[in-house]
Formats: sequence, structure tokens, C-alpha cells
Amino acid sequence: MKLIKSKWNIISSFLYPILLAVILIILLQTGALVKIFGVKPNILPKINVIAAAFGDIPDLSSQIWCTLQSIILGLFLGSVLGYLLAVLTAMIPIAGKGGISLITAFNAIPIVALTPIFMKMSKLIDLDSEARCILAKTVVVTLVTMSSMSITSYRGLTETKPFADDLLQSYACNKFKILWKLRIPNSIPSIFTALKIGIPTAVITAVVSEYFLESQMGIGKQIKIQIGTLFSYSVGWAYIIVACIMGIGLYAILMLVQYITLKHRK
Amino acid sequence: MMKKHPKLGGFISLICWIVGLIIVWEIIAFMCDMKFNHPENYIPHIHQIIASFFDTSVKINNHAATLTVLEAAGGTLLRALYGFVIGIVIGFVLALLMDLCGAIEKIAFPYLMLLQMVPIIGMAPIIFAITGDVNKSRIIIAAILTFYPVSTNTMAGFKSIEKEKYDLMDICSANKFQLYWHTKFPACLPSFFTGLKISAPLAITASVLVDTLQGGTTLGGLISSSLGGKPSYFIFWQVVVICAVVGVGSSALMGLLEKIFCPYRHGKRSIGTILAIRKENKMNVKEEIEDEAYQK
Repeated sequence: MKLIKSKWNIISSFLYPILLAVILIILLQTGALVKIFGVKPNILPKINVIAAAFGDIPDLSSQIWCTLQSIILGLFLGSVLGYLLAVLTAMIPIAGKGGISLITAFNAIPIVALTPIFMKMSKLIDLDSEARCILAKTVVVTLVTMSSMSITSYRGLTETKPFADDLLQSYACNKFKILWKLRIPNSIPSIFTALKIGIPTAVITAVVSEYFLESQMGIGKQIKIQIGTLFSYSVGWAYIIVACIMGIGLYAILMLVQYITLKHRK
Repeated sequence: MMKKHPKLGGFISLICWIVGLIIVWEIIAFMCDMKFNHPENYIPHIHQIIASFFDTSVKINNHAATLTVLEAAGGTLLRALYGFVIGIVIGFVLALLMDLCGAIEKIAFPYLMLLQMVPIIGMAPIIFAITGDVNKSRIIIAAILTFYPVSTNTMAGFKSIEKEKYDLMDICSANKFQLYWHTKFPACLPSFFTGLKISAPLAITASVLVDTLQGGTTLGGLISSSLGGKPSYFIFWQVVVICAVVGVGSSALMGLLEKIFCPYRHGKRSIGTILAIRKENKMNVKEEIEDEAYQK
């Protein structure tokens, strides 16, 4: 009886969401959803229409690459810098504490305001417009990632097991040895936690910051152009789906890496 | 120093970092001075930005620019607040429903994870097209952005309760309402406020972003028009400063509310709470108190 119950538990946790998805798709395909919202049918296109719209996009891969390279580069730079800041704070609290507070404050500034600042700053560097846009976008993504990484990994670096610090000190370990043997291994899981927060925000930041850039390239810019100016909603939806897939794909890669890295821990 | 005054040390450190940031900013501003004919179009000096707030010569529709910016900020923030409050209510109720009913949790949880991946702010034009009204779409987007962090964090708070507390409530024969009122709600408050701290700036971002679709004298509209140089490049910096201050301030306000609503006093009230629940459930309280007195 217990076995059946636990099996049903697992099955139902897949079954219920799929059921809801099926209902939603049926509502969409039969046009009922359009009636519920009371909108024109082209705003909420059927799935086959969206799928057909993918064929209408001539340079999809270059648009994806334009956004994706900023996301990946920004995630990487932000994670490295954020982690270094956390290590600095763990070693010399008085030096790093203010940095973490400041970077958190940066995170509370709307992306809408941050992006144009870096766009303007990038004009100091002699590059063509496309490269400058990518640079500005990357810097914003870096800042956003940095904040979650520094806070979360600082917690991982400092919240060690009770007495572990004392034990290593009694072995006459110096600060760097404690960092290397205790703190850094202890912070690995929190790096993954930080990235789990960081990846969705990085994707959203990259997409939204494109709204305020001069370049015509990138997923976010295309969403704005297709829907805002050209009123071709199906293509807009196609781009939104691409953005979702990008986020989910990166998340899946992260989960895989996490599984491999943390497999040997208990 | 650090150990004696941990707060003071953190404060000094923060000041040093801010001074560092200002120095970097000024260096960039001086580089702009050297490079461009109209440096104010790029990165102005900090004193220029501050001075622009008191400059009455710049006008938007015959009103002083600063006043217009502040009015626009008020309007934008009010609409962000509507969405924020609606989002909090929906988020909390959903977390509660998910906690009360396993089936709802199973249905909603994967979609919550999925929703995190959907660039909702990026969907602003579509939501605008669906509702057909700027104000409505602003409130809806702010609400969606608020509701996600609130509900997931509150959920995590509900789940974080130790088994011993449930056992204790069982011993008191507490009913569902008492369980939630005395154990679950206080336990979820810290993570609930963490959710609020994350979502408050997001709600403001959403509101400003939807503004840019509308244009006119709203914060987002002013950003778009002043980036083109009309009526002044400094309007942009004023809006940025206001956005930054309000964004940081909203997050700090949530931190303050957290300190007011959940100071760490659980230890003090726990025995009183238990006695109160037992009394409500008509258990023998008197004996307990006598026991306690005896032990003293």
C-alpha cells in the first residue's frame, strides 16, 4: 500500500502539470483563450502559426548568438569577480563588506537606468556600434550576476561547520590554508545556488537591456521591433520562446554540471 | 576595530567603496571631457548632475523640468505599488494554497520554475497588446514579477520548519488554524521579506519599462526622449538618479519592515504561546504553571 502511494506520488507530480499544459494548449488551439481574454486572434496565435513563424526568421542563429554571447560572457565575468569579492570579504572583512553592500545596491537599480549609462560610457572606446552594444550589455549582465554570486558564495565561505575553523587553527594552518582547505570546498554548493539565481536574471537582463541599445540585433530588440512596430505577433512569440529555451538550456547545463561535480559529496 | 564595532567597520568600508566609485566615475567624466566636443551628452560630472536638479531654465511643456520628472516619478511609482501589492497578495495566497494542498503544489510548482525562465519584462509589448491599456499592463507585469519571488520564498519558509515544532503543536493538539497562526506564519516571515526585497526593485523596473512603450511625460518616456537630447540630456540623469534612489530605497524599506515585523523574539514568546494554545483547547494549564513554579 505504501509502495503504491509513493509511486502515485511520483506519477502525479508529472501528471498534474502535464494535464494543465494539455488543457491550456487545447484552449489555445480551439480559440477559447482568445475569447476569454477578449483580444484579436493574431495576438495569441496558435502553436502551428508560431512554429511556422520560425521559418520566416532569416537570421535566427545570428540573433541568438548576439544575445547569448553577452549572457555567457557576463555570467562568467560576473561569477569570477563576484567570487573574488566574496573571498576578499572572507579574508579581510573590512575591505570587502562595503563592496558587497554597494554591489547589492547596484542590483536594486532598474536595468532600464543601467543600460543607457554603459551605452554612453562605451562611446569612449573606439569600436563599431555593434561591438559597443554587446560590450554595454555584457557589463550590465556582469553586474547583475556579480551581486547574487558575491552574497551567496560569501555565505558559503563563512558558514562552515562549527569548530572546523578552530580545528584547522589548532593544526597551525594559516589564513590561506584555511581558505584553500576549508572555505573554498565549503562554498562550492553555494556557487551553484548563486548561478541558479543568476542564470534567469542574466537572460532577462540581456533581453531587456537590448530595448535600450542602438543595435538592431538580439532577441530582445527583435521582440520589441516585431511586436511594437511591425505588429507581427507570431514572430514575436517565436522570439519569446527562443528566449525561454535559452534560459532553460543554460539551467539544464548548470544542473548537469552540478550533478557531476557534487556527485561524490554526501 | 572590526570586532569591537562591526557595524562601524562595515560603514567605513562602504564609504571607501563609494568614494572609489565616485573617483572612477570622475575619471571617466574627465576622459569624456578630453575626447568629445559636447561631453555632457556622454558622461557628465557628478556636480553637473546635482546642479541640473536645481536648474529651472530647462522646461518640459512650460513646466520646470525637475518638477515634471518628480511628478512623473510619483505616477510611475504609484502604479508600480499597485502591481506590487497585488503581486504580494497573489504570491502569498498561492504559497498558502500550495502548502495546504499537495495537488496544487504539484500543478503549480513546475510552472513557477518555468515562469522564472520566461522574460516577463521582455513580454511587455505582448501584454500591452493583450490588455490594450498601459496602466493595466503595467500593473499586471509588476504583479507577475512580484508574485514569483514572494511565493517561492514564502514556500521555502513554510518548508523550513523543524519537525520538533510540529510535534510540539501536536502535543498541544493545535488545530490547522493554530498551527498556521502560531508556527507557520512567524516561520515564513523572514523568507517572505527576502522575497519582497527581491521583488520591490523589479516592480519598479517593470513600471518604468512599460512607460517607454507609452512615451510622454512618464519616467520611461522621459528616458527615451532625453536620450535623443530633448529637451536636455540631463533629464536622463535625473531619471536615472531617481530610479536608483527609489530602487535601493524600496529594497531598504522592505528590510526595515522586516526588522519591525519580525524581530528575533521567538524564544521569549514560545512558552506563552504554548500555554495560550493549550488554554484555547481547554487543556489543563493550571497544572503546568504550578509545575513550572515548583521547578523554580
